[in-house]
Amino acid sequence: MNTEILIIEDDPVIRKELQTVLEGNKYHTSAIEDFSDVTEQVRKINPHLILLDIKLPQENGFTICSGIRSFSQAPIIFVTSCNTDMDELNSIMLGGDAFITKPYHTAILLAKIASLLKRAYPDTQSRHLTYQGVSLSLETGTIEAEGKQTELTKNELKIMYYLFEHAGTICTRADLIEYLWDNQLYVDDNALSVNIGRIREKLSKIGVKDFIKTKHRQGYTL
Amino acid sequence: MNGKQYWKDKIPLFLINIVCMVLLSVFLLFVGNNADSIAVILIIWTMLLAGVLTFTYHQRKRRLNKLVKMAEGLEEKYLLSEMLPEPEHAEEQVYFQLLKMASKSMLEQIGTVARERQEYREYIEQWIHEIKTPITAMKLLCENHKEPFTREMMRELEKTNRFTEQALYYARSEYTEKDYSVQEIRLFDVVHQAIADNKYLLLQNQVALETEESELTVYSDDKWLRFILDQLIVNAVKYSREHPVLHFYTKVQGDQIFLFVEDHGIGICANDLPRIFEKGFTGKNGRIRQNATGIGLYLCKRLCDKLGIGIAAQSGETGTTMILSFQINHFIHQVQG
Repeated sequence: MNTEILIIEDDPVIRKELQTVLEGNKYHTSAIEDFSDVTEQVRKINPHLILLDIKLPQENGFTICSGIRSFSQAPIIFVTSCNTDMDELNSIMLGGDAFITKPYHTAILLAKIASLLKRAYPDTQSRHLTYQGVSLSLETGTIEAEGKQTELTKNELKIMYYLFEHAGTICTRADLIEYLWDNQLYVDDNALSVNIGRIREKLSKIGVKDFIKTKHRQGYTL
Repeated sequence: MNGKQYWKDKIPLFLINIVCMVLLSVFLLFVGNNADSIAVILIIWTMLLAGVLTFTYHQRKRRLNKLVKMAEGLEEKYLLSEMLPEPEHAEEQVYFQLLKMASKSMLEQIGTVARERQEYREYIEQWIHEIKTPITAMKLLCENHKEPFTREMMRELEKTNRFTEQALYYARSEYTEKDYSVQEIRLFDVVHQAIADNKYLLLQNQVALETEESELTVYSDDKWLRFILDQLIVNAVKYSREHPVLHFYTKVQGDQIFLFVEDHGIGICANDLPRIFEKGFTGKNGRIRQNATGIGLYLCKRLCDKLGIGIAAQSGETGTTMILSFQINHFIHQVQG
């Protein structure tokens, strides 16, 4: 399924960069650039999820939100720099699904998007990743090749998930560590090496050799 | 009212009375009265005078004492002139008018200052919200172009954001009544958020993080708590030694939940420890590291007080432990259970 995310944000830089981030995470995006009659534009685009700023040039986000709610139940995430409780309360009363304050962590924003999408449109994501005959199962936390499988720890699973997602490209150690931190696994450089070593050991036990390649001074790649 | 002063005030009256007595006595003697009858008149005169003066003294004293007591009982004493009963004496009336004038002008002044403060605070809040847009834009730009250079930029942006948050909470800490919402929050959710706020700072200082995950929940405001934890994390990094370690763990004791933030830093010397929550206090560590402002912990303490969270510090050779304590609300648990 191609998930369409609509960005309603008046700052052009944020709009563009947010699109880049989301597209980098395999979402389709569109953005409102003309702020007259936003609700009508939303109706035409009919997105799966909406990121909505509160302070906008013409109608404010709250008005737009209640407008959208009259025809669509797509999840709406309020993204705003006003972090008063009144705003938060308002956004929830008017049918917003989440409230994120600027400057947000993209990791948290992406997690929020993913969980809202999962709730609103269940069973759209495959929970299995496969690359070169090796498949990773996220539910059971196992990795499988040629009928043999082995269990991974939480850290190892996350590392493998990241490598699978970026299969074919080089993942730098810094990126990997940051990704783990975003998932609340506070792994340092040494621990990363230890974890990679352990994964390799486990892989070799099920007969997979040289699956994770080390690129000297750059990082890892599948 | 001072008795001595009262009688002193009456000296002219006495003098006039004495003069009058002398004149009357001379006159009465000349018209042929004997000394005895004059003496009777003078004694009665003196007694009447003394009686009236003593009576008025007590009456006035009672009245004034009542006013003093009223003023003492008043919380905002500058509003006293509104409470005073209408004066009876001519002189009192003038003073009363003066008092009214003075307090009216002061109330106007206070009103102006309060209004200006309010406006300034609103401006600050608005400014902070506006500055967050470019911060967000810069953050996104950096995230979309990840390289060592932008990672350092990110650390600086975290810092920028932290300072703006500090200003925001400083402004808010004075008018907090309306700006927090208490709800059930999982302590470690907030810890993770605070860590995420300082991700680049922690990563670049190679801080080893240990989080002893627990499912404990408390009733508090997550935004405020996150801000407090941010300050504690920054301090831990600022006053760290080689191979910094930051350890988060919780403990339940009696009807309190404790959250410990432990570092292996340079510690706080015993003399400074009791004063770290004072505004502007930087202590020995501040002099060593140069960039202490004495605001962070002061704000933490203030916000904690408002939220009803206990905050304490333990420090020694091996580092500092900051302890936040939350009261377990049995009532809420009973209602929910």
